[in-house]
Amino acid sequence: MILKNIKNLALVLVLGFLVSACATSQKIGNKEDYYTGTDTVKFLAAGVPDRVFFATNRSTLHSGAKATLDKQAAYLISSKLKVVIEGHADERGTREYNLALGSRRANAVRDYLLSKGVPKAQLKTISYGKERPVNPKSDRLAWSQNRRAVTVKAN
Amino acid sequence: MKRIIFLIFYFTFFTNANAVVTIDITRGNLEPLPAAISNFYIDNPEKFSESIKKLNLDKNLPKVITENLKRSGLFYVLDPKSYIQDPKLSHLKPRFEDWALIKAQIMVSGKLKIDEKNRLRVEFRLWDVVSAKEMEGLALFATPSSWRRIAHIISDKIYQRLTGEEGYFDTRIIYVAESGPKDQRVKKLAIMDQDGDNNKYLTLGNELVLTPRFSPNSKMVTYMSYFKNLPRVYLLNIETGIQEVVGDFPGMTFAPRFSPDGKKIIMSFSRDGNSDIYTMDLNTRVVDQLTNHPAIDTSPSYSPDGKYIAFNSDRNGQQQIYVMRSNGKGVTRISKGNGLYGTPVWSPRGDLIAFTKIYKEKFYIGVMRTDGTGERLLTENFYQEAPSWSPNGRVLIYYRETAAGAGGRGASAKLWSIDITGYNEIKLKTQTDASDPNWSSLLSK
Amino acid sequence: MYRSLSLSVLFHTFVILITAFTLPFVIKKPIDVPPIISIDLIQISEKTNLPFAPKAREIIDKIKEEKERVVTKQAPPKIIKKEKPDAVPNPDDIKKKIKETKKKQNPEEVKEEIRQSSEFEKKELFDPNKISALIDKSKEEFAQIQQKQSLDITQNQDSSVSLNKGLTITQEDAVRAQIYKCWNIPIGLPYNEDLTVKIRLKLKPDGSILSSEILNHARMNMPGQGFYRVLAESALRAVKLCDPLKMPTTGHEKWGDLQLNFDAKEMLKG
Repeated sequence: MILKNIKNLALVLVLGFLVSACATSQKIGNKEDYYTGTDTVKFLAAGVPDRVFFATNRSTLHSGAKATLDKQAAYLISSKLKVVIEGHADERGTREYNLALGSRRANAVRDYLLSKGVPKAQLKTISYGKERPVNPKSDRLAWSQNRRAVTVKAN
Repeated sequence: MKRIIFLIFYFTFFTNANAVVTIDITRGNLEPLPAAISNFYIDNPEKFSESIKKLNLDKNLPKVITENLKRSGLFYVLDPKSYIQDPKLSHLKPRFEDWALIKAQIMVSGKLKIDEKNRLRVEFRLWDVVSAKEMEGLALFATPSSWRRIAHIISDKIYQRLTGEEGYFDTRIIYVAESGPKDQRVKKLAIMDQDGDNNKYLTLGNELVLTPRFSPNSKMVTYMSYFKNLPRVYLLNIETGIQEVVGDFPGMTFAPRFSPDGKKIIMSFSRDGNSDIYTMDLNTRVVDQLTNHPAIDTSPSYSPDGKYIAFNSDRNGQQQIYVMRSNGKGVTRISKGNGLYGTPVWSPRGDLIAFTKIYKEKFYIGVMRTDGTGERLLTENFYQEAPSWSPNGRVLIYYRETAAGAGGRGASAKLWSIDITGYNEIKLKTQTDASDPNWSSLLSK
Repeated sequence: MYRSLSLSVLFHTFVILITAFTLPFVIKKPIDVPPIISIDLIQISEKTNLPFAPKAREIIDKIKEEKERVVTKQAPPKIIKKEKPDAVPNPDDIKKKIKETKKKQNPEEVKEEIRQSSEFEKKELFDPNKISALIDKSKEEFAQIQQKQSLDITQNQDSSVSLNKGLTITQEDAVRAQIYKCWNIPIGLPYNEDLTVKIRLKLKPDGSILSSEILNHARMNMPGQGFYRVLAESALRAVKLCDPLKMPTTGHEKWGDLQLNFDAKEMLKG
């Protein structure tokens, strides 16, 4: 079942920006422990939050994250700003797996933004794995804040 | 006549054999072997220059040996203050009763000399005090400045003679030296002798570097660097200092390791967020894709014969260990317990795979057979991962992080080692915080 | 749909190519690295058959007698037995164990017992005779078990004595206990290898060792038998450290010729 879902996800990632109707509900994951607060969040522009959060070991975008990315997409289209999407993981995984997970998260955001019409040339991704936590504390709250993908202005 | 003699022989043998009482000894004490390591004596002190004299080799060389043997957990070295016999006589004509008196079962003695070519000649003998005989005697030459390596090689010879397997003291460890706050950690490649001495930094810390691994002959290192914010796998020649990017992949490459013949690098490449396992031939630059799956496939490690590859993948929904043939065929899941499994590393002997296990918020370092049976967890902690084998397959080294308080206070990362029996877990001395250790092969091989 | 897909593929390839060509192909940056020094190894002597070795042995023997009086500060420390290989119990195992113990307790049976006792209380609550009878019965049983046990012991002793050669089991155990204390098992040996070293001892009537000999001595010097040699040498040391053995005052003809089979497998397994 999960495997099937991952396959579906992959399909969506490939076709996503062409067939926007496909990129709808991807409800996988048993733990919905993503961060919903506003601490640590910065803004690309007024009313445009720069980051979305993920559940443990997941890279799916929940509805709140999508709402954030819709705002980002609108802003990026209008401003033509070039950005880098940084994928991050919490410290509770092995380093190499976390690098892959961060990459997966950054690309989940990228694919969503592409599906909303943001030109590909404006988007780059990078994964930092667990190397750049935003909250260095070792507790659940900090970990949920660290499981994130942040859209930052490209230099 | 012959027959009669034969009969007599046969009879005596037969009756003798019958009279022997046989007792099975299946128990004993499992304490480390009590050993004495005498100071070495200096044969021609007039030839020792001031600078060499300052090294105090007669004391410091045996001290390095002592520390090595102690750290192995297999030996208990008696306090040199209790030694009765002087170093010279101990080496030439030991009075075993003197050493037996302090309960030493083995004794090491040595002689130092500067030869006509101004080289340091170190001679050592290993004595069985109880059986009153010499077990080993060797002489080694080197420039005086490399006396520590001589001490490590002597330690290896003693270890091998007393355990029956190769030592691991004349080796180095490459690791990532860490400093600064957790959210802006500065990481440098560093290399040190197995005992923590001789530490050298290989990068300046301007960019993030991760997961260095030695080539089989320990002359090259492959690692991951964020140089110019492009996370890629690099190759570093330790002898020339020349670095290069491995392959020209249009995305992040990570988790590199050498193949056992040293000709290829195996690593993960993340294409559009999906990580698969690739190899690149270092001579021909030919790239091979081994896995092709929408799941995360990473942390690949070859078996010592090069025929198999262990890696971790979340293709069944969560991170588990898989083994496949070196052509990417025949993928089989081997980790079967509850929890997540990662960072498989094949032992140099080929019979075990070391791994990190995450279960109920705890991190374990363990070993299992290559088919996944016989899982043994050696150590449990808040966070630890990335085991690496000693070249003789006896000891694992890994890094451990402590839980941090608010603002990252109390965070630390240190290198630890443990015997594969689960005994003798010890923290290694490093100048800074440290992670991602990788053990070299024996340098003198 | 199909057209746009092929478009996307083209676009992708273009992006990949662009990234590929802008990559830093080869970045050279010299690094200061400690040099590798080659060291020559020389065998200084194959064997140093020291002429004074036997003499030293005599002295060791003498010292052994004095040893009792000499208090050595440097006795090896009792290493606190660290946890066993499976020190960190597999969480799954713990779970299983808990389950097992729960099973053993079997709540149904407990219920039945309670029920029975309550019935017993109702019907024959204050019948002291019956209670005393119960007590007596348990006493009887206890006595019977004791008798049986003592019988077993005497039977054991009988059988061992009736062997009429060699040692009784308790005498064998006494020898074993002595050797156990003297034997430092080489803890570096692999725990999964079958190794047995057989040592033949000739003892004097006072228990001191006349000669000790490894039965498969040739194997010690064979290549690839490093572990055997290590075990054999440790066994020889154990025997020598135990010299003289405390043996029964009589029956030297039975125990004068002794074979000890050293096998560390069980201990190394933990």
